Amino acid sequence: MKFRTYFLKRLGTWALTIWIGVTFIFFVPRMFPSDPVESMIGQISARSGSMDPVQMDALRRSLRVQFGLEGSLMEQYTTFLWKGLLHFDFGPSLMSYPEPAGKIISTYLPYTVGLSMISTLLAWIIGNLIGLLAGFRKNKRSSKILEGIAICLYPIPYFIVALVLQIFFAYILGWFPLTTTINSFQGFGVFMASLIKSSILPALSLLLVGTGWWIISMKSLAATTSEEDYVLYARYRGLSEGVIGTKYVLKNSILTQVTALAMSLGGVFGGSIMTEIIFGYPGVGTLIQKAILQSDYNMILGCITISIVAISTATLIVDLVYPFIDPRIRYS
Amino acid sequence: MKKFWKNANFALKSGLIITAIFFVIGFVVYLIPHADPFNFNTYQPKLGASAEHFLGTTSMGQDVLWLLIEAIHNSLVIGLIVATIGTVVGVFVGLLSGFAGGALDRVLMVVTDTFVVIPSLPILILMTSLMKGTSTVILIALVLAMFAWAWPSRQIRSMALTLKERDFIQTAKFSGEGTVQIVVTEILPFALTWSLSNFMNATLNAIASESSLAVLGLSPANLISLGNMIQWARERNAIFNKQWLWIGSPIVATIVMFIGLFLLITGYNDYLAMKRGR
Amino acid sequence: MRKKLVSILMASAMTISLMACGGGSAPATGTDESAGTTAESTETAGDTTEAAETTQETTEATASSDTASGEMTEVGTPRNETLIVETQTPTDVPGQFNTYMQGTTTGFGIHQLMSAMMWEMDTAKGEQFGEVADGMPESNADFTEHTVKIRQGIKWSDGEDLTADDVAFTFNMIMNTPNIGASDYYNSIFESVEATDDYTVLIKTKESFPRLAMKMGVTIWGNDLRIVPEHIYSKVDDPSTFKDENPVVAGPYTVKSFDPLGKWVLYERREDWQNTTVGVVTGKQCPEKYVWFRYLGDDTTRQMAMIQNEVDILCEVTPEILTAMMSSNDKISAWYNEFPYATSDDPCSKGLAFSEGQGAPYDNPDFRWGIALAMNFDEISMNIFDGAGRSSPFGILCNTSAFQELYAKPMLSWFEDFELDLGDGTTFKPWDSEYKNRMAEKLGITGDDAYLEDMFGVGCLKYNPEAAEKLLIKAGLEKKDDGWYFGGEPFTINLTYLADTEAQAGRGVQAAYDQLTKFGLNCNISSESSATWDANGGTGNYEIAGYWPTGFITKDIYSQINGYDADLIVPLGEIGSGQGVRWNNKEATDIIHKLAKVSPDSDEAYELAQEFIKIQFTEMPFLAFHSGVKFVPTNSTYWGNYPNADNAYNGPWWWWSCFKYIMTEFTTN
Repeated sequence: MKFRTYFLKRLGTWALTIWIGVTFIFFVPRMFPSDPVESMIGQISARSGSMDPVQMDALRRSLRVQFGLEGSLMEQYTTFLWKGLLHFDFGPSLMSYPEPAGKIISTYLPYTVGLSMISTLLAWIIGNLIGLLAGFRKNKRSSKILEGIAICLYPIPYFIVALVLQIFFAYILGWFPLTTTINSFQGFGVFMASLIKSSILPALSLLLVGTGWWIISMKSLAATTSEEDYVLYARYRGLSEGVIGTKYVLKNSILTQVTALAMSLGGVFGGSIMTEIIFGYPGVGTLIQKAILQSDYNMILGCITISIVAISTATLIVDLVYPFIDPRIRYS
Repeated sequence: MKKFWKNANFALKSGLIITAIFFVIGFVVYLIPHADPFNFNTYQPKLGASAEHFLGTTSMGQDVLWLLIEAIHNSLVIGLIVATIGTVVGVFVGLLSGFAGGALDRVLMVVTDTFVVIPSLPILILMTSLMKGTSTVILIALVLAMFAWAWPSRQIRSMALTLKERDFIQTAKFSGEGTVQIVVTEILPFALTWSLSNFMNATLNAIASESSLAVLGLSPANLISLGNMIQWARERNAIFNKQWLWIGSPIVATIVMFIGLFLLITGYNDYLAMKRGR
Repeated sequence: MRKKLVSILMASAMTISLMACGGGSAPATGTDESAGTTAESTETAGDTTEAAETTQETTEATASSDTASGEMTEVGTPRNETLIVETQTPTDVPGQFNTYMQGTTTGFGIHQLMSAMMWEMDTAKGEQFGEVADGMPESNADFTEHTVKIRQGIKWSDGEDLTADDVAFTFNMIMNTPNIGASDYYNSIFESVEATDDYTVLIKTKESFPRLAMKMGVTIWGNDLRIVPEHIYSKVDDPSTFKDENPVVAGPYTVKSFDPLGKWVLYERREDWQNTTVGVVTGKQCPEKYVWFRYLGDDTTRQMAMIQNEVDILCEVTPEILTAMMSSNDKISAWYNEFPYATSDDPCSKGLAFSEGQGAPYDNPDFRWGIALAMNFDEISMNIFDGAGRSSPFGILCNTSAFQELYAKPMLSWFEDFELDLGDGTTFKPWDSEYKNRMAEKLGITGDDAYLEDMFGVGCLKYNPEAAEKLLIKAGLEKKDDGWYFGGEPFTINLTYLADTEAQAGRGVQAAYDQLTKFGLNCNISSESSATWDANGGTGNYEIAGYWPTGFITKDIYSQINGYDADLIVPLGEIGSGQGVRWNNKEATDIIHKLAKVSPDSDEAYELAQEFIKIQFTEMPFLAFHSGVKFVPTNSTYWGNYPNADNAYNGPWWWWSCFKYIMTEFTTN
């Protein structure tokens, strides 16, 4: 009974969050002094030298109509809520008109999800394990070394890590391709081989920078927890270190980390921009970036709506699962 | 003070020293009168290290050392503003919603969640492309702070939820302490450890976010920050032209600065633990 | 470096041994591990037709590589038969090859290799020639009826003949399909277009239209009119939504394969090359069996890829990248093999645009001249590209070598005698013909006057802060102890540039910021993303910015300047069809109106152009620094005879549609 009220309330919060976030994203780009039609015309005339004034006028008029920018803002908003949010139909991409934005996103999404999800999860697992060891047995030499590595890796700006990996492994050693080239027309085997070969460096770079933070945060959580009375008591009772580590320290520290994971999983959408730029990896990060720079409203909305829905849902699930991990929390 | 230093562990000492050095560079050395380091053609371009230019000059004829000092100053200012706003607001909102519960909790959490779920980098790109011409250190810090408080507040809330059920809180409750008093006397010290490491992390995150914007070419064009310095060097291909001092110094500065901050935090935590243990 | 060598040797040794075993699979640039996986999975998936094709492909590739060095590209073609060209933007709509559909990335090899243009450009001569058309159009006296002959012998890639019907169909298709961007424009120009016989098209225009070939053929980069096969497009419901995944083309190449993620397209030469546009026009076969257009990513990746011979041609780089690449790989070269490396003949000069719609002082020529004289051009030049580039002090007309010969040199005495009234009773001659000698001395270049003039230009504007001060004061500014004032308020200039894309323009604005700040003016500088930048450019929402509304390609300048027609100016904040700088000058407008009616080849057109150049030099609506300076690297490991300064059979314009003609001259190395 109590679970049901909690569940419904939480579901309400979930829907509300998505609605506010999406509304924010709908209006902000439209308040900017930029315009997709001008951006398009700018591109066309930039590459073909100056354009005939009459021709430019005619083009501008026909683009306005086609892009669906004619109606009032409220009309556009209601259309978007109905079609975009409920049916995931965001309308045509303005930069690649008339290709639907949703279709373009769905081409790139699997790559982003595949690469970032796997490396985020791996980083989380590795980082928390090391962090646990470092926090729980903080006076051991090995923990100090592991921690030291994390401290040194974490503060390096991501693009520097990526750049160094690229220069060292792809350019100097030549083990991996410099940029992602996915060969999809010579059969599945060739495709997978080229995909894997191209994915290792980006994944490694994400793993390296991702792990550091998990080690550091887990370490401080575990260190705090292992000072707790019940852990000390368990020590007096003579329980083995392994049992204390997993049963008491891990179980009590991991909670915060699970929430953080849920949120960072959603963050992969925006966070993959740099990976994609440096390694030329396909994905939605550069799609968002390009869309913003060119005011492709529908594409911005599409990418960010998906991202918002994904993160909200992840946190929803975590919140619902919470009480099963930590019995001290009740549904309230 | 003397006693503190005697009792301090190695991490705390070295962290303090490194951080202090950066603060001295960023806020004291910075005050020494010098030519605007941003000006082009002030010196001969592409010089190596010398007594006159400890870190050489850039391809545009700027002195790398002064550029670096100014960058440290600006990046620290950005980081500190963002971290202060983020941590203070985050802790406040998190504790409030964790302990108040009910309708207030739900309203606060909806707002917090909205800011958590909106991907920050794309919005930052959007925001910075709006702030044409008017972007200053303070303004870019405020934009970055918009996204810096949501996560801490959520973390602190979940921490508060756990703590709420602890025995010592229940005891305090039964002994008649008010919620505010409980929060201030019992919870805040507990949340402090986490907040401090969050503060450090927020500082770094702010500096890193600014660098990301810089690498995308969207940080204010005349703001001398660590991120912009790296970006300017990259734009002139400093890596492949082996201008290591120019590209390397902001990177090394960023890394050392963080290590210092981090050692400070861990050392301080250990120091507290040791004192408690006694 | 030694490590790198060893690993390369090992990798190639492995590759060769794998090939010898017959187990070598297509992408052989990688390690033994991945090659192994590939071969294995091909075998396991053996029952599908796709895999069968792959195997066949592999065998074929292996066979042909026996004779050659055996290197393969990542898309499974022999490296020494494949020309690898960089494309600057990936496409979001892979497999879309119909250029009449929006969003198609035309520069992805589509117009360089496949499109059929009516008239093409010989960039070395600055003259057009017929591609699909047989010669230039013949018009009646008042330029309302134009007869265009069509070349005989061109066939579409499915074997059908290209005839006048296809040409007439294409014109009518554009006019009858409102969703094609150019449709309204075509309807406003053309009365009718019809084929009178198999190889003749009669075009009737509503009004006098003396520039048919220039508007419908290539001048700069390309043209939106690309002839399509009637027998394909007439069966399509809506040509503006037809993707055309397997395009039937008249150009020398067809699509062999493309990346569904939009990062590359592989083109294969047509077997019947004699019947392609290039084959019929030149009688030459392109030596490259495959052309692989690929997107390489950021600058770091691009230069590393070229150093490792993974790409033969890059579009454009900065001088820092070029010199770094040249010192790592001696096969890499550019237009010149030594300073200045770059060609200065790109038709868009870069500099500072004043938003004259902002009102005073930006609409005042004295102010603009004041800004010009307040800056040390020598330092600006060093800051942009280390001194490389031809100065182009001719405003919106770009000082290409053709312009310098056709206009700048014949008018030189006029520029030298030009005087500015400084407002205090004195005058000042701003022309500085010593620039080339100063730069030559500074950079250690020796050569005769003609050589230096080609490299640095015939002259630039003088640096003279005193004259600049007087001009600014004449324009209504006041100089006080704490800086400049205008209308009683402290005066600040906002400078903007486009973030991250146009190095020459961006650096120019940065250098100008530096110069103006040192001069004592209070300035702000900021970069903008492209959408904001383009919108602000149109609405005039800037003060001084690095826009480039400039150009020069043919002797007739009408198409470069017609946007400056003052009748097209709309109020600030609105977007009109004219240039965003909103230069309001009656004499210039009159000249534009007169030129519209004059035949482009006439002496009158030339005289009007000279008149225009004088007016806009006096008014300085746009302050240009250099002509378009492009560093265009080529790698001669696999291919040779790229156009360069010593062998300038064409310009280095890989991203233009004339690339197919440049390619015919390449040789295998």
